[in-house]
Amino acid sequence: MNLFPVFAVVERDLLRMLRHRGRLLSSFVRPMIWFLVIGAGIGALVAPTVPGSYQRFLVPGVLGMTMLFAAMLIALSVVYDKEFGVMRLLVTAPLPHYWIVLAKILSGTLLAMLQAAVILLLFALLGYLGPDLSPALLLLGCLGTALACASLGMTVAVWTSTLDNFAVVMNFVIFPVFFLSGALYPVQSLPPVLKLFATLNPFTYGVDVLKHACLGSEAVIAGADFSVALDLSVLFGFSALATFIACVRFSHETRLGLQGFLRGRS
Amino acid sequence: MSVEAAVRATGVCKHYGATEALRDLNLEVPAGAFFGLLGPNGSGKSTAIHLLTTLIAPTSGSARVAGHDVVRDGLAVRREIGLVFQEPALDAALTVQETLEFAGRLRSLSRATIAQRSEQLLALFQMQDKRGQRVGTLSGGTRRALDICRSLLHRPRILFLDEPTIGLDVPNRRRIWTHIHKLRRDEGTTVFLTTHYLEEAEDCDDVAFLANGRLIGGGRPSELIERLGRRMLEIEGENLGSVVSMLEPRLGPCLREEGRALFRIEDSDFDLKNALGPSVETLQSVRQRRPNLNDVFLWVNHPELAEAIAA
Repeated sequence: MNLFPVFAVVERDLLRMLRHRGRLLSSFVRPMIWFLVIGAGIGALVAPTVPGSYQRFLVPGVLGMTMLFAAMLIALSVVYDKEFGVMRLLVTAPLPHYWIVLAKILSGTLLAMLQAAVILLLFALLGYLGPDLSPALLLLGCLGTALACASLGMTVAVWTSTLDNFAVVMNFVIFPVFFLSGALYPVQSLPPVLKLFATLNPFTYGVDVLKHACLGSEAVIAGADFSVALDLSVLFGFSALATFIACVRFSHETRLGLQGFLRGRS
Repeated sequence: MSVEAAVRATGVCKHYGATEALRDLNLEVPAGAFFGLLGPNGSGKSTAIHLLTTLIAPTSGSARVAGHDVVRDGLAVRREIGLVFQEPALDAALTVQETLEFAGRLRSLSRATIAQRSEQLLALFQMQDKRGQRVGTLSGGTRRALDICRSLLHRPRILFLDEPTIGLDVPNRRRIWTHIHKLRRDEGTTVFLTTHYLEEAEDCDDVAFLANGRLIGGGRPSELIERLGRRMLEIEGENLGSVVSMLEPRLGPCLREEGRALFRIEDSDFDLKNALGPSVETLQSVRQRRPNLNDVFLWVNHPELAEAIAA
């Protein structure tokens, strides 16, 4: 199989990311607001004696959040393509339809990791990356988290045919996924019901592996909740499952005549 | 040796739940032909195009495009075809050049090939100066032209055009047709057109009429028009009943619409004043003209009138 079409999809998403400057800027501003404002505010509440310690704890969560939003934007672009016709171009290209899903997941993963790299640079400049940072694990953790977010986003996107629906669905995905993940607080100290949800949430394991990579053994407020092996197994296992479901669903959808968006306009 | 038809549909049906979008469609388009599938909105034209371009699967029947089965060998079909949809399939955020690059890369063309062909195509549509412009800032006509360039970049053997000139002004329409004809001459591309602007289909080698999902006739446009009659008589007035009953014995059945009646004239000696006498004064307007493909469709679409021309 020739990979040109996959590169074409990735290249277009990259161009679109650079072209929508406001959106790109907000993808850096949003995590930094969480980091600096929420971090300082809650930090003063939970660890008033050690300034910056809660922010150190927030580094992995905010990094994960950056990737979550970036990957969801790529999923959004799939729905955008369905609504504005570019998807017709993709589905009439000579490649199996599930390749479109794979290409979009790849593109979401790459773009999420690129944005995470910029945020990491900002953290480094602000002096929030400690000596315990493990670069190899960080790279692997970012890859796993970005991949899981991209495949989650794509699974939602293949079920949605209008932008309006997608906006609604996203509110029910992004926020619960983020808040129930251990990004803002250790999972172990959550009440039992919330703890259960957090344990079922794949994003939790992304944030957790990033905690291992960024905080190391130096547990600032609290350390990681799970083992690296469990984190990575959940992330890659979930990604494989979600990707498979999205591919099957998308191929099915195209065989049915791309349901709403083809029939609605013909 | 028989040459494989560019498009062949055999007994194709498509149902959406209880709705029958296409019923027993049989078509054969020889390679290199200019074929028109004609009919009003909602007659099933787009469904037929979506089926032939592998976007939807038939409920029953089979279709082959460029020698490949559309269900079993969709990839091979998609490799051979170009497709222009009713609405342009373009990303408003990209520039003209980037759009063509994206389309070319999706079809695995090398950058050098894309550069060379987009040069030619943009020149053909006089768009070289728009290369760096964002698609979102282009006019409707230019956007449509770009969409056609996009569909031609990989030199498809068969080009499907689904209402390609809908919403375009006359100069743009004319320009697009000039280029499509040139393409057919130069490259021998088979063109499969759907349109409800029937006058655009008069240059087709062959047309088929579709109404409510069924083929109701077709043939070579010039022959169809010739067979319909020498002239058409269009009369308008308030109480046409008596006039129609005077004319029908001479001219045969007519097509009646609110306040209007359309007759075929085959007799070169026919004279309306002689036929109607003083009743001619009750008519608001009288027009005699050459028949066109639109008249053919109206005739074919009425069972009792269709009988008259079949006889």
